[in-house]
Amino acid sequence: MANLEKFEEFVDNLSQLDDETRFEYILDLARKHRHDPFPASDMTPEHEMHGCQAKVWIVHEQRGDMHYFRGHSDAAIVNGLVTMMTDSFSGLTSREIAELSIDHVRKLNLGSLTMQRQVGMMAMLKYIKKLGLAQAA
Amino acid sequence: MSGVASLSRTVDDNAPYDVEEVRTDFPILSEKIYGKPLVFLDSAASAQKPRVVIEAMKNLYEHEYANVHRGLYWLSERATDRFEQARRTVAAHLNAAHDHEIVFTRNGTEAINLVAATWGRTFLKAGDEIVISELEHHANIVPWQMLRSEKGIVIKVAPITDEGELRMDAFRALLGPRTKLVAIAHMSNVLGTIFPVKEIVASAHAIGAKVLLDGCQAATHQRVDVQDIGCDFYAITGHKLYGPSGIGALWGREELLDAMPPYMGGGEMIDKVSFEKTTWAPLPHKFEAGTPAIVQAHGLAVALDYMNGLGLERIARHENDVLRYANERLGAIPGLRIIGTAPSKASVVSMLADFAHAHDIATVIDREGVAVRTGNHCAQPLMARLGVNATVRASIGLYNRRQDIDALAEALEKVRRVFG
Ligand SMILES: Cc1ncc(COP(=O)(O)O)c(C=O)c1O
Repeated sequence: MANLEKFEEFVDNLSQLDDETRFEYILDLARKHRHDPFPASDMTPEHEMHGCQAKVWIVHEQRGDMHYFRGHSDAAIVNGLVTMMTDSFSGLTSREIAELSIDHVRKLNLGSLTMQRQVGMMAMLKYIKKLGLAQAA
Repeated sequence: MSGVASLSRTVDDNAPYDVEEVRTDFPILSEKIYGKPLVFLDSAASAQKPRVVIEAMKNLYEHEYANVHRGLYWLSERATDRFEQARRTVAAHLNAAHDHEIVFTRNGTEAINLVAATWGRTFLKAGDEIVISELEHHANIVPWQMLRSEKGIVIKVAPITDEGELRMDAFRALLGPRTKLVAIAHMSNVLGTIFPVKEIVASAHAIGAKVLLDGCQAATHQRVDVQDIGCDFYAITGHKLYGPSGIGALWGREELLDAMPPYMGGGEMIDKVSFEKTTWAPLPHKFEAGTPAIVQAHGLAVALDYMNGLGLERIARHENDVLRYANERLGAIPGLRIIGTAPSKASVVSMLADFAHAHDIATVIDREGVAVRTGNHCAQPLMARLGVNATVRASIGLYNRRQDIDALAEALEKVRRVFG
């Protein structure tokens, strides 16, 4: 099984929160991100994921067969969500990345988020898979 | 019931209406969102429907429904009457010279596409020019680009000022011997600007160009008289006019519609069909292939009657009062800038905040029960012109009131506290 420790930790934390605090939690993730800023030099069209109202950049790196992701958004809440996704799925192998599915997004159970944002999360996952699998190919 | 209430409202045309009473006509306005009263400030995207519209559609389905223009039986004639009565209502609403100048479409987008696909394809050739403006909705950009790909026409874009007004000098400078059409918004869905359409028409006609006005926004906020404006085509969409979705209309001058080939082929739009040759039905049926949106057309007519019952001028005065209040109240929030400050504008407040992204604002104020639109508003070229990615847009309908603006302002203050 894939090493989804970080992902499971998010799932666990989120499951204990109600709508209001879940929202705070996501914002907190974005705030933590401030201490480890995403360099402006990476905010290029090449790293931009299209189709979201806010801008989203995701950078992929491969070390051996392990994949690492960093991301950023100009909107704080989206930034929190991007962080959740990139932290969850960094350190996986190509095979593990290939196995990720929308069930993972569902499992985060971001209930209070609107459909549009759920769709956004699915799009992010798809993008992460695309980045990881393109390199592996 | 609302019918009685709206009758009594017509007694004094000049007195403002009681907005609280009007609100009771709209069932959805008493909904709670996350346990909070709904504050609906997104009517420019789609307006809510009064009970009379909902009931009228239900009633038609329950008692008078059949296909139109086909059966010789009571129900079909009844439904046909309703449908053709709806056409007369729309024609009267726009002051069209003839009822058959109204073509029912699915929405405003289809009305514009119809003109591009029939008039455009038939009468435009490579090198002919169409003038649009920088603030057009995608619905009034993309159909012309599709025509450009097909026919090699040229699209020229008239610039706006930073305030959101059309630069008339620059617009006139774009008009020339090859200009065949000016296709322009009557009112901007992003900035609220109302363009000086009579002047635009005069300039365009002076060089022999036709004028299509995208009235999807304008028709909801003011009386539209296509003969007085003098344009050639006018597009409206039902769902912004407090009517149902799935219905819109194109008004076109009789002689132009007559000269245009049909839009789609099928039933209803033909006169006589044989495998060798088919002749077209007379206006407007030539453009209405297939079973139309019968119930929706009726719903739209009832919605227009409802608006007229309240009084279009009174609606405009009421909305302008709320708009002025919004400008003051929202304009006083530090870090918030209102985009679109043309003197002639209606019912739309687009905002940029320096303390939060539009997306974050939308998320937080949604939880306060406030519905506004964020994003590029289907006008990406305009956003590029203004140098912004997304704005937060509050739009005011006939049922909004100052408290709604207060609720939005308080929600925005909360955003400032969370993100500021
Ligand atoms: C100015 C303008 N034009 C056209 C449209 C398209 O209307 P519809 O989506 O109903 O076809 C809209 C609606 O968003 C609009 O605001």
